[in-house]
Amino acid sequence: MTDWTTPRGAPYSSRRRETLRDRALDRESPLRRLDWVLLFAVAMLCTLGALLVWGATKPGNVAHGLDPNGDLKRDLLNIGIGVGLGSVAAIVDYRTIRAYTPVLYLASLIGLVAVLVHGQTVNGSHSWIKVGPGFEVQPSEFAKIALVVLAAMLLGERRDGESAPDNRDVWWTLAASALPILLILKQPDVGTVMVIAFLIFGVISLSGVSARWIIGMLVVALIAALVILHLHLLKQYQIDRFTNFTNPHADTQGTGYNTHQARIAIGSGGLFGQGLFHGTQTNGQFVPEQQTDFVFTVAGEELGLFGAGLIVILVGVVLWRGLTIAARAEDAFGMLVSVAVVCWFGFQAFENIGMTVGIMPVTGLPLPFVSYGGSSMFASMLAVGLLQNVHIRSHPSRP
Amino acid sequence: MSDRSRLRLVVLRALVVSLLLTLLGRLWYLQVLAGPQYAQAAADNQKRDIIATAPRGEIVDDRGLAFARNKTALVVSVDRIAIQRQGDCTAITDPCTTLHRLSKVLHASFHDIFNRIQLCGVGALPKGCWNGSPYEPVPVSQLKADQASTRLALQILERKEDFPGVTAELAAVRHYPKPKGAFASQTIGNLAPITSEELAKLPKVQRQARLRDLVGRQGLEQEYDDFLRGRAGVTQVAVDHIGGVTGTLSQTAPVPGDNLVTSLDARVQASLESSLAGAVKHARQLGVHAYGGPADFAAGVVLNAQTGHVVAMGSYPSYDPSLWDGGRIDTKAYARLQKAAGSPLVDKAYSSAYSPGSSFKPISTSGLLHDGTASINGYYPCGPSYSVGATSFRNFEGEAAGSINLHKTLVISCDTVYYYLAYHDWLRDEALVHQHKKPVEGVQHMARNYGIGRPTDVDLPNATTGHIADRRNTLLQWKATHKDYCMGAQRRPVGDPIKAFDKEYCTDGWRFNPGLQLIEDIGQGSVLVSPLQLAVAYAAVANGGTVFEPRVGQAILSPDGHVVHQLKAPVRGHIPLPKSELDYIRNALYDVNTQGTGATAFAGWPQHKFRIGGKTGTAELGINRSYTSAWFASFGGKAGEKPQFVTIIMVDKGGVGGVVAAPAARQVWDTIFGVDG
Repeated sequence: MTDWTTPRGAPYSSRRRETLRDRALDRESPLRRLDWVLLFAVAMLCTLGALLVWGATKPGNVAHGLDPNGDLKRDLLNIGIGVGLGSVAAIVDYRTIRAYTPVLYLASLIGLVAVLVHGQTVNGSHSWIKVGPGFEVQPSEFAKIALVVLAAMLLGERRDGESAPDNRDVWWTLAASALPILLILKQPDVGTVMVIAFLIFGVISLSGVSARWIIGMLVVALIAALVILHLHLLKQYQIDRFTNFTNPHADTQGTGYNTHQARIAIGSGGLFGQGLFHGTQTNGQFVPEQQTDFVFTVAGEELGLFGAGLIVILVGVVLWRGLTIAARAEDAFGMLVSVAVVCWFGFQAFENIGMTVGIMPVTGLPLPFVSYGGSSMFASMLAVGLLQNVHIRSHPSRP
Repeated sequence: MSDRSRLRLVVLRALVVSLLLTLLGRLWYLQVLAGPQYAQAAADNQKRDIIATAPRGEIVDDRGLAFARNKTALVVSVDRIAIQRQGDCTAITDPCTTLHRLSKVLHASFHDIFNRIQLCGVGALPKGCWNGSPYEPVPVSQLKADQASTRLALQILERKEDFPGVTAELAAVRHYPKPKGAFASQTIGNLAPITSEELAKLPKVQRQARLRDLVGRQGLEQEYDDFLRGRAGVTQVAVDHIGGVTGTLSQTAPVPGDNLVTSLDARVQASLESSLAGAVKHARQLGVHAYGGPADFAAGVVLNAQTGHVVAMGSYPSYDPSLWDGGRIDTKAYARLQKAAGSPLVDKAYSSAYSPGSSFKPISTSGLLHDGTASINGYYPCGPSYSVGATSFRNFEGEAAGSINLHKTLVISCDTVYYYLAYHDWLRDEALVHQHKKPVEGVQHMARNYGIGRPTDVDLPNATTGHIADRRNTLLQWKATHKDYCMGAQRRPVGDPIKAFDKEYCTDGWRFNPGLQLIEDIGQGSVLVSPLQLAVAYAAVANGGTVFEPRVGQAILSPDGHVVHQLKAPVRGHIPLPKSELDYIRNALYDVNTQGTGATAFAGWPQHKFRIGGKTGTAELGINRSYTSAWFASFGGKAGEKPQFVTIIMVDKGGVGGVVAAPAARQVWDTIFGVDG
């Protein structure tokens, strides 16, 4: 058993005598123990994201007589709120959060049911719920957070003498994640379902279960895919997206239009890009959903290989740091939370960038920290908060 | 942490790195390796070619009356992109609110409108698909120039919210105004959208500009398409993704097409068409027993004998050329025309050939005179019938006139004289063949001199060559086709009359037997001519032996009225007969209308003012010869001057030439010379 100490573990009396400044600079202070590399990478991604959202929306806003910087302002506001939420997630001890996991889980289920009843339909998916004027929430984004902590809780709780979760824990995890998955499928939001499925798969695999589980899950996924194909459970647009992905030149006017225009935008950026606000594809609004799902195309066109590559590398830094935090985590829960977040960000970023460059089929997923969108930003920030939380509370002396 | 988890973390790390490297590699490919190509695509994205169709040239008659011109009409167009963006109209079974609403106000079929806005070349081609750019509004309907239509257009324009993506605007469309009531449909032709095969044949640089072209599909519209079409203008504009124009990059103005002045005379054309209709009606009223017939169709030509230009040419039944107004025909109307009795879509005057019957006799007479079988001083037996071996060839209705000269033979149209001469002709040729020498075949050679069995080279597409049989082509034809006949001889049931015919052709069809020569000399059997070919031949008889390549076009004028091309009918040859012999034939034909088979029809005609000669023809049709085709070939002009015009009338299964065709021809002559008003 490790005998770890927490900031809270310090005697109250000794802390009262310190000034705020002392406390902030204390060796044990949360600030000093933050993962600054991770923070820097996320900050860079948010900054680039804000610039790209600005670049994508300004010409359209000008053309429509709207505030040219309206979307930029809202994006910055989202980042601000996100930082606040992330700080809370970082500061509250993750073991406290673990205690409230069932509450989080239930809340997310209520959100997902509510969206099916009262939801707004955007782009064919019933994923948004109106909370106030001009303010919409996408509960499936928060469901990711709930599942991150829930899976980590179920799989991280070890009985005496166990080094890996037993089969019962895995079954519970699968059952608990099945419910939100079904609710999100109903919206339908296949992209988020894929993210969650990958996240759960990653957490279970990394929890130390026997390899038979991993092979089993892969086989089930394969069979499910075959069944879906054979029973024609997919809608035509979903099939079209897939066939367009396998044969991108099939129909550049209809269903393949988005990906074709996206590739043109990225490809025409070249090494250095055409400069912010100077992309003709972006300014002509040839790529749909350019400030949200296809924001990467703005980077490709206006910032070139350097800008787009920088985003990929920054995403890499976030994932790398996340895995390092997982490796150094004090307990199984912390490790699994970090792994879950890495799987989530990793899959979502790869899928999002992959679809814009034409190596993945099109699904409606935002690029974490970069795409415009409140719920996605908040959930991503909360997730980074969790990573920081685990990092702060891991053993300082460990490499 | 268990060792298992630690190991798997390393695996996850490797996975993350490899996925990110994949993305970077792909970016490298897109932005560096394929970068220039995508940069070009991005540049093309911002450009659109807006094609301004050039006004098509007019087709006018001799006096400037338009057979085909352009009129402005309200054209209703649908923007495909706007409809796509409405999201409810990707398949024909979708709600398609806007299109359904539009089809209701236009009283047009929804399927038709839906198909019109589908792009050609994607999957199975719907009928009437759009060949043009996907970004251009697609014309779906053309409104009439009346008040109701204008109101309808205003309605569509004003209720923008009900008709998103639908516009109505003025455009120039093809119009066939039927001057003086003349159709000339098959001669003028019509337009149709260019097909993808035609586009593929064009040089690449022209394709884009010609995507929306209407091209001539028949008649003069097809023949003179290159002159009439003009050159489309191209305006290259900069656009955003929804096609909103942000600037003009370059501009070339459309060049209007040249006008075609034809030698047609709308007045004569109208008269010819009504005469044909009248002749058909007349034939049907008379019936088979009163020298009429069921008269399936009729055709006629009026040719200027001195210039070789076509003055009028038409078929009955015809169709209203304005069905093709706007360069498109309603699919239902087209289907109706395809199924209509007498196939009105098919021209009968220049693109199909028939047995001319006795109207061929001036040509066979020329041949017999030229090869020495007959002479203008000779007298020949005109008996009731003429026998060759066991076969007896009867004169028309078994008449007999004793021993007569060629003049009389032509005037009364005695068949047995030709049988007599043809048999002698044939015997001489057979003797030559036995001596391994070339047969003379004088009639066949003369027929080709007159242009029969040769392409007319008229300035119209799909003109027929006609046919005249000789020893050589009879053998060739038999070689090519006898197998089918032999099979028919074997397989047809006993008692089928065609079985015997098949058997005979199978064994003896290669042989040019005397019977063939006999009936050929009276214009039946294996002589086939189009009315236009016969007109060219008669023009040669009338003008002293000049054979023309006939022309409908007279001149091509630039839009500002300058003559670009003068279209003269070229002289293709001269009839190798001495003037005395041609005059002899011509004089005999003049007497046909005063004393012979044309006399009834031309009773009371002022021959002293306008002298008209002619020849009737009654060609037997089919195996049992139950019907005959009525022909009348004539030429005439002011008395004392050279004959100016030739008029040919043919009524298929119409009965007897002198009864059915000659009166129709007289009606046309009336109009030409203004005789009866």
